[in-house]
Amino acid sequence: MVKSYKPKRLEEALQIIKNEDCILFAGGTDLMVNRKIYFDDKNSDKKVLFLSSIEELKDISSDSNYIEIGSMTTLCSVEKNNLIPEALREAAKSMASPSIRNIATIGGNICNASPAGDTLPYLYAAQATLVLESIEGSREVYIGDFIKGPRKKDIKKHEILTKIKIPLKEYDIWEFRKVGTRKSTALSKLSFTGLAKKKDGILEDIRLSFGAVGPTVVRCRDYENKIIEIGKDIKIPEIIDMYSSIITPIDDQRSTAYYRKEVALSLLSNFLLKL
Amino acid sequence: MGRDIALSIRRDDAIAKISGEAKYTCDVKFENMLYGKTLRSKIARGKIKSIKYPSLPEGYYIVDKDDVPKPNKLKILKSDMSVFAQDVVNYVGEPIALVVGEDKEIIDNILSKIEVEYENIQPILTLEEGLNTKEPIYGDNNLFADYVVEKGDINEVKNRASYVYEGEYETGYQEQFYLETQGIIADFKDGKITIYGSMQCPYYIKNALLDFFKADSDKIRVVQLTTGGGFGGKEDYPSLIAAQAAAASIKCKRPVKIVYDRDEDIEFTTKRHPSKIKLKSYLDDNFKVIGMEADIILDGGAYASLSEVVLQRAMFAISGVYNIENLYVKGRAVATNKAISGAFRGFGAPQAFFAIEIHMEHIAKKFNLNPLDFKINNLIKRGDKSSTGGTFRDEIKLKEMIKRAEIMSSYNEKKSRFKEERKEGKLKGIGMSLFFHGGGFTGSGERDHIKAKVKLLKKIDETVEILISNVEMGQGAMTTSRKIVAYTLNIPIEKVIFENPDTDRVPDSGPTVASRTTVVVGELLREAAEELKNRWNENETLIVEADYKYPEGYEWDGDKFKGDAYTSYSFGVNVVEVEVDSITYESTIKNVYAVYDIGQAIDERIVKGQIDGGIVQGLGYAGIEVMENKEGRFLQRTSSDYIIPTSKDVPYIYSELLCEPFKYGPYGAKALGELTFVGSPPAYALSVEDALGLEISNIPVRPENILEVLRHGK
Amino acid sequence: MENKIKFILNGEEVEVLCSPVKRLLDVLRDDFNLSGAKEGCGKGECGACSVLIDGKLINSCLYPAQMAEGKEVLTIEGLKKSRIFEILSESFIDAGAVQCGFCTPGMIMASYALLRKNPNPTEEDIREGLSGNLCRCTGYNMIIEAVKMAAKRGEGLW
Repeated sequence: MVKSYKPKRLEEALQIIKNEDCILFAGGTDLMVNRKIYFDDKNSDKKVLFLSSIEELKDISSDSNYIEIGSMTTLCSVEKNNLIPEALREAAKSMASPSIRNIATIGGNICNASPAGDTLPYLYAAQATLVLESIEGSREVYIGDFIKGPRKKDIKKHEILTKIKIPLKEYDIWEFRKVGTRKSTALSKLSFTGLAKKKDGILEDIRLSFGAVGPTVVRCRDYENKIIEIGKDIKIPEIIDMYSSIITPIDDQRSTAYYRKEVALSLLSNFLLKL
Repeated sequence: MGRDIALSIRRDDAIAKISGEAKYTCDVKFENMLYGKTLRSKIARGKIKSIKYPSLPEGYYIVDKDDVPKPNKLKILKSDMSVFAQDVVNYVGEPIALVVGEDKEIIDNILSKIEVEYENIQPILTLEEGLNTKEPIYGDNNLFADYVVEKGDINEVKNRASYVYEGEYETGYQEQFYLETQGIIADFKDGKITIYGSMQCPYYIKNALLDFFKADSDKIRVVQLTTGGGFGGKEDYPSLIAAQAAAASIKCKRPVKIVYDRDEDIEFTTKRHPSKIKLKSYLDDNFKVIGMEADIILDGGAYASLSEVVLQRAMFAISGVYNIENLYVKGRAVATNKAISGAFRGFGAPQAFFAIEIHMEHIAKKFNLNPLDFKINNLIKRGDKSSTGGTFRDEIKLKEMIKRAEIMSSYNEKKSRFKEERKEGKLKGIGMSLFFHGGGFTGSGERDHIKAKVKLLKKIDETVEILISNVEMGQGAMTTSRKIVAYTLNIPIEKVIFENPDTDRVPDSGPTVASRTTVVVGELLREAAEELKNRWNENETLIVEADYKYPEGYEWDGDKFKGDAYTSYSFGVNVVEVEVDSITYESTIKNVYAVYDIGQAIDERIVKGQIDGGIVQGLGYAGIEVMENKEGRFLQRTSSDYIIPTSKDVPYIYSELLCEPFKYGPYGAKALGELTFVGSPPAYALSVEDALGLEISNIPVRPENILEVLRHGK
Repeated sequence: MENKIKFILNGEEVEVLCSPVKRLLDVLRDDFNLSGAKEGCGKGECGACSVLIDGKLINSCLYPAQMAEGKEVLTIEGLKKSRIFEILSESFIDAGAVQCGFCTPGMIMASYALLRKNPNPTEEDIREGLSGNLCRCTGYNMIIEAVKMAAKRGEGLW
């Protein structure tokens, strides 16, 4: 039967996982659905480390450079906290149902590494970095480098995702759009996040990301730079063409590849029109 | 009991349900009870070559075909389905065996170790394959039913028609998704099998088990437990689970309980028949539809179940609320290697009404007519003949109902306003559907097969107990039955008792389907109560009975499908308003308006509950409830992917009642439950069609399909 | 390894010996015989198993026993003893919000959780608050009506 730890301090947790392989348990809303696969309770000696009692992982703070969100911050807290950028709050609000948002965490959503994880596109777009800590120290990694593929991520057995750092930047034009299967408790068919900053009519920065249209979130800094470079003279069809080559969704039980791609590109085009 | 039966009263079952005290099958525990889980076919079609069972821990059992009497066939209407696969399997999920024991996790573990070796046979997965197969699943032609209904002379009409219009319409699967999954407990003791569980039709289970186990009538007893929704899904399927659980209890000599997981229930139990319907209409130069040819094909899945009667209802409803004097209707229910299609609220009628309502609208558009005027111009009225040549005997208030719906919804004003708003890019649309539902069993089922009997038991303390086999499953049967009896006897409602049926105590008043509980059984209860009222002063315990009598003056020939397919019709008009997102083509339902003639309402609040619930199920059917089959497996087979509406997917629903009473219904009551489902799918599809200015002929209307049509025209 | 887990269940301190990842739903139903929380899907999608933990609505089918340690768990059986329950149940009855009943205890818990946070909810707030609780019978409107009714009747109590 499963053995468990429920430390109250991060330090303690890091100490435990230094020596033992543990399944890190955040809100558990994904793990518990597949608990037979993850735990195989009767027949395994798997170890679970519950993160829920570690208060220091639930802080939300900001300084002049970053907003830092503790990995164990629930989606409900993300949705309600004024420090957090609106686009991310919208994303959190679009997820699951109120009861799930009460326990599901932002760190869990990231580490679940699902192509349809709804907090991810914003975090990619905002160039969020993740703080991974182990007993030996900590490292920071851009979320796009952290997530390697569906359910695959760059985390070592003795590491815990402790914080999400979002660079502080005002985007005067932003959009988060989730196209789900229904209006609540829905999984994404696709999602789009657009952030842009204009100064005196000139485009200073733009960030564009797409969820559920590829094995991981689609974002391309090169294309974004190109758009900034072209500035005023952007031709939307050309940008759409560009993105068309990197948006490669699949047919599945929730939607079709064709729909996903076309709607993703339409949402992009619609966003560009607002610039 | 007050003198207006429509006034709502408190539901007696509500408080136990609210407080969590009501005991559903999952909540009931017997001493020494074991659990059973089903080993299912992993392939769509094939022969079972061998099954390797692991060695079992003590107290664990396998129950399969070797544990049931020959010929191992369960009688629904036909006896084509094995209780445990004999040597072939015909759909992914077909039950092969039960693993029975005390601990569910150990059972899962055993299940994972069973090895079944199959010899694959090419499965039939589409209607086309099913119609053209050389290796039928069922009979010689692979059809569960193959019927023709004729009225008038279609060939004569073809010659004189001024206009002809042809269209093809498709509807998809729908899963009942009752909140309580299927569940049965069987307890074999002293030579007698007792079945407890979630069900609509206790006597269907009893009769199926009597036939299956070749038992004497007193050796099978069926007791209904609190039932968390049925919608048709607990009409025939519980008989199968009951037979399996009973076989297990006989073998293990302990009570055995089977409760399905949600995903198991979604993927493997019965569903609404997908349909493909071709309609060809012949019109005269006044745009009266003078004739119609229809070809209706239903996907019946792997076993016959109730397909033949579902098909009949679809065929008889195909001309909708229109007076079409010449008809040729062909209907076929095709066997395919997919889960069984069974009963679901509306029972064939939703498919037919979707087709005819869309068809009529498309005709009007084709010939530049106002769709509503065109429909009104063709409406049935009292005295007209039904599709089977029966007579509409009662006043048909459709015109008045349409007027009400127009006023309630500002239909005409919105129709033109939305047109303007669409020019500004707001994709708003509005659609209206007109429909009926025939109350009770199709044809002479009541007279020839069911022969319902009800009893009232008056006790010394002057309480009266209702003894019927119809169940409360959420629809309010407990309340409406008690009201009818209390009202007739003019006694307080508290004096009338309704317990969940137990076949050892109640007569066979038939199944809880087709609105017959109110219309047919309710009338029998009224009759019995009238008699009891006359004998009230006989100073003792008293039982009065009433037996079904086919109403005078109606006729039905079940071989030729001629006459009154139904004795009463209830009617409806639905208006649905949507706004479609111009980028994603997601629809938001803005408003729903509904007018119904259900005769006398027995309880207005219960009626409203049926209206809202039926409309929302219909909106789900037409919109978000997608279930596709690929290579024999459903793609949307979990509750994450097969989705039903949430509170955020539907708006407030405005509804009104108009009443044309039915002489043979209790106090004039007519059918309600199914009717409320039938109208919203076409109204929804038409509103989306209006919003986008394209023709929609299939449901569910998926944003994916809309996009395809807009970009590629198909 | 079975853990000894202590928590407050409906106001009483209790203790259970079980696997740390046993679902709270199973703990409630099997170990404490409280069958008001129902399993409708087992995946947090239907809300039939809704209970409150430290005043917050959760799906007990997704909640591991270990995480309940030291917390206050409130189920329909616990709520039943309160005036609040009386108001909610009367409103549900008067509005016709109960049909098959399988979703109802969860709906009551979700309604209570909503009204605790927001005693004067708009219709939109109610639709949002109940959006994780599926009902296949009512089409939701009569439930929403019931919550509106309860909000008014219980003014000051939430």
